[in-house]
Amino acid sequence: MKLKTNTSLTIIIAAAVLLEIISAVQYYYTRSLLAEELEHRAESELTMKAIIVKNSLNMSEISLRGHIRDLKRNLSYPDSLFGTTEWVLHTHPNLVGCGVAFVPHFFPEKGRLFEPYAYRENNKVKSIQAAGEKHDYTKSGFYKEGIAADGPIWTAPYVDDIFKIPMVSYTLPVWDKNHETIAVFALDIPIRILGDTLNYRHMYPSSYDILLTADGEYIAGPREDHVSRKDVEHIISIINDSTVAKSPSMSGRSQVATFNDRGGRGKGSVFFANFKGQPRWQIAVVCYDDEVYGKLRAMRRNIGLLMLVGLVILSLIVLRFARNDRRLQAANLMQERNDSELRIASNIQKEMLPKQSPTGCSDVDIHGLLIPARAVGGDIFDYFIRDEKLFFCIGDVSGKGVPSAMVMAVIHSLFRMATAHENNPARIMQTVNETSCDGNESNMFVTLFIGVLDLPTGRLRYCNAGHDRPVIVGAEALPAEANLPVAVFADFAYEMQETVLADGSTLFLYTDGLTEAKNRERQMFGVERVMDVLNGSVNLTPAQLLEKMVGEVHAFVEDAEQSDDLTMLAIRYTPRQFESKLTETLVLKNDVREITRFSSFMKSVTEQLGIEKSLARQLRLAAEEAVVNVIDYAYPTGTEGDVTIHILSDGHTIRFQIIDTGVAFDPTAKEKADTTLSAEDRQIGGLGILLVRELMDTINYERVDGQNVLTLIKNV
Amino acid sequence: MIMNTTIKEIDGKYVATLKGEMDTAAAVEAEEVLKPLYQSNGKDVIIDCTELEYIASSGLRILLGILKGAKASGSKVVMKGVNDDIKNVFKLTGFISLFEFE
Repeated sequence: MKLKTNTSLTIIIAAAVLLEIISAVQYYYTRSLLAEELEHRAESELTMKAIIVKNSLNMSEISLRGHIRDLKRNLSYPDSLFGTTEWVLHTHPNLVGCGVAFVPHFFPEKGRLFEPYAYRENNKVKSIQAAGEKHDYTKSGFYKEGIAADGPIWTAPYVDDIFKIPMVSYTLPVWDKNHETIAVFALDIPIRILGDTLNYRHMYPSSYDILLTADGEYIAGPREDHVSRKDVEHIISIINDSTVAKSPSMSGRSQVATFNDRGGRGKGSVFFANFKGQPRWQIAVVCYDDEVYGKLRAMRRNIGLLMLVGLVILSLIVLRFARNDRRLQAANLMQERNDSELRIASNIQKEMLPKQSPTGCSDVDIHGLLIPARAVGGDIFDYFIRDEKLFFCIGDVSGKGVPSAMVMAVIHSLFRMATAHENNPARIMQTVNETSCDGNESNMFVTLFIGVLDLPTGRLRYCNAGHDRPVIVGAEALPAEANLPVAVFADFAYEMQETVLADGSTLFLYTDGLTEAKNRERQMFGVERVMDVLNGSVNLTPAQLLEKMVGEVHAFVEDAEQSDDLTMLAIRYTPRQFESKLTETLVLKNDVREITRFSSFMKSVTEQLGIEKSLARQLRLAAEEAVVNVIDYAYPTGTEGDVTIHILSDGHTIRFQIIDTGVAFDPTAKEKADTTLSAEDRQIGGLGILLVRELMDTINYERVDGQNVLTLIKNV
Repeated sequence: MIMNTTIKEIDGKYVATLKGEMDTAAAVEAEEVLKPLYQSNGKDVIIDCTELEYIASSGLRILLGILKGAKASGSKVVMKGVNDDIKNVFKLTGFISLFEFE
């Protein structure tokens, strides 16, 4: 049991571990696929956003370049340059300003600084001379960078001192014929616009793009309502911090660094790459693991839940199996126990059956057979010899199997009990019936045939209780009344019937398992077949007869399953022949004083037979006790009657026959006196018959033609 | 008369002497003689069977009667000189365990 539970537990744990491993492997595999996918997407994003930004810049560049010729043409008319700058502004709605900053003193009439500058105000383009005390452009980054550059450049971001907003400028140096730089032609783009262009769309809802200069200086990024400037600065610091590990992408076009977001968005990655060509800027895209792997995590969580549910179901199944297994084992054990108990019961039942012909008796040859349909059966047969009488019975308990077997055992012991001191089969039947009716709640009944065969005379007395009539082999069935089966009505009066068995005749008894033995076609063996076999078996011994009958039955039913117990009993009556060499007779009156005559008679007979003194005393004592018994009890007090004593001997045995014409009285039916009691408890009666039983070999009583005939036999 | 029965009192004990064959008929007469021993009044009873050859169950009944009387008054019954055949009868009837034998 313990072992089973451990096995179940092991299976469940193994399944859990296996599921977890599968889940983990799948998670990490999918995650690495997603990481790869992220890299691809990030690189595409970087490339695409770079193109978009450059496109946007390009348009500005083209606008400016497209007007450089105008500018040069109008150099003679400085005031016309206001229009030129206005035109540039008209070409592109993203531009906030456009100006031409001339080298100092280029137009003497305009003073030291001159910068025609167009700008937007309320969606209208206006222009002013931007240079003044407050705006010394020569100190501005765009001018310095632009004048120093050898061609067009994009300046680093700066905060312009007119609009006070961060912006970048595109500058074109303006050369005279001598290739001397005379002015910086510039247009301004607010960084906000670049940031919006860059962030018009995001890879993931929370991700964003940043533009940086080659030196890692912030140019543009998302609006502050999307990402705080602090977070952006953090990302920039990571990109610029050489101590932070950065790994190149597989394609080598970008680098990636991971970080922990300070705003509580967990881990993230930043991919960044340089622009190809001008301007030499960097572009970066930031994305958060939550959004990249969030679905995977959710999936893993869901799969985990599913696995948990599966595991619970598996556990239930395994436990159920284990329990079923235990039940099965318990059932098997129970079955084994039942089988073994049934085997024992079967053996007990076999033990109950008489084994062989009664030993030391040549008057009858008996053979019985019981083939149960199951391990135990409800059929019964029994026989034994007491006082020169063969008591036998055959019966069939309704039903089959264990319940029937138990009833059968009860009937068996009742038969033995009832026959201990009773020679009348009807009274035996009555006792069996009354006792078995008591508490017969199960309403089982028993068909029973009881016979008592007097061996010296061949007189068969019998009583039938609903059983199949026995058959005299080679002749007819016994004319037995059916009566009621046993254990139906307690007060049913069973009647005795009698007949005389001829020397050498055989009585055959059976249960309906014989006549109702069925073959595959459901045909019954039947009474006629039984009679046929019996008629052809007149000279067989009981054993041979039963063997033949069983053979016939088996041949008939072939391989059909035996449906009922099959029981048979055959009794062959073969009385010993007794040729008397000596016959003496004495007739006494029923008076104890006559015993004196009896004593003399006995002495003379034993002397005649040459019997030694001690044995002679035994014979005399036994006979005297039997005779005194008759004198005392056969006739009512005050009436006279005779007691006749015959003594017969063939030299081997001595027979006493004590005959009277008094009331029917069977001394053999009296219970044996208890010889173990103390003097105080000992009863006076019963000693005589006890001595008869102890001293003689057999004692036999018969009531014949109104006479009590008591036969005592002693082998000498 | 195939049987002779006598009683004597010697040294405060009853001594019953049974001689011959005590069949049922003889037992009737012997009982007449032995009746006083049914009340032995605390005296021990010696039953001398030295010359007793045969006894039937009616004789055993008389002996049982004497034994019951003796036991009731606290005395004992001793069987003396019982031959083998009679001892066998005592055995068969279980009387052998009731009496004392000498």
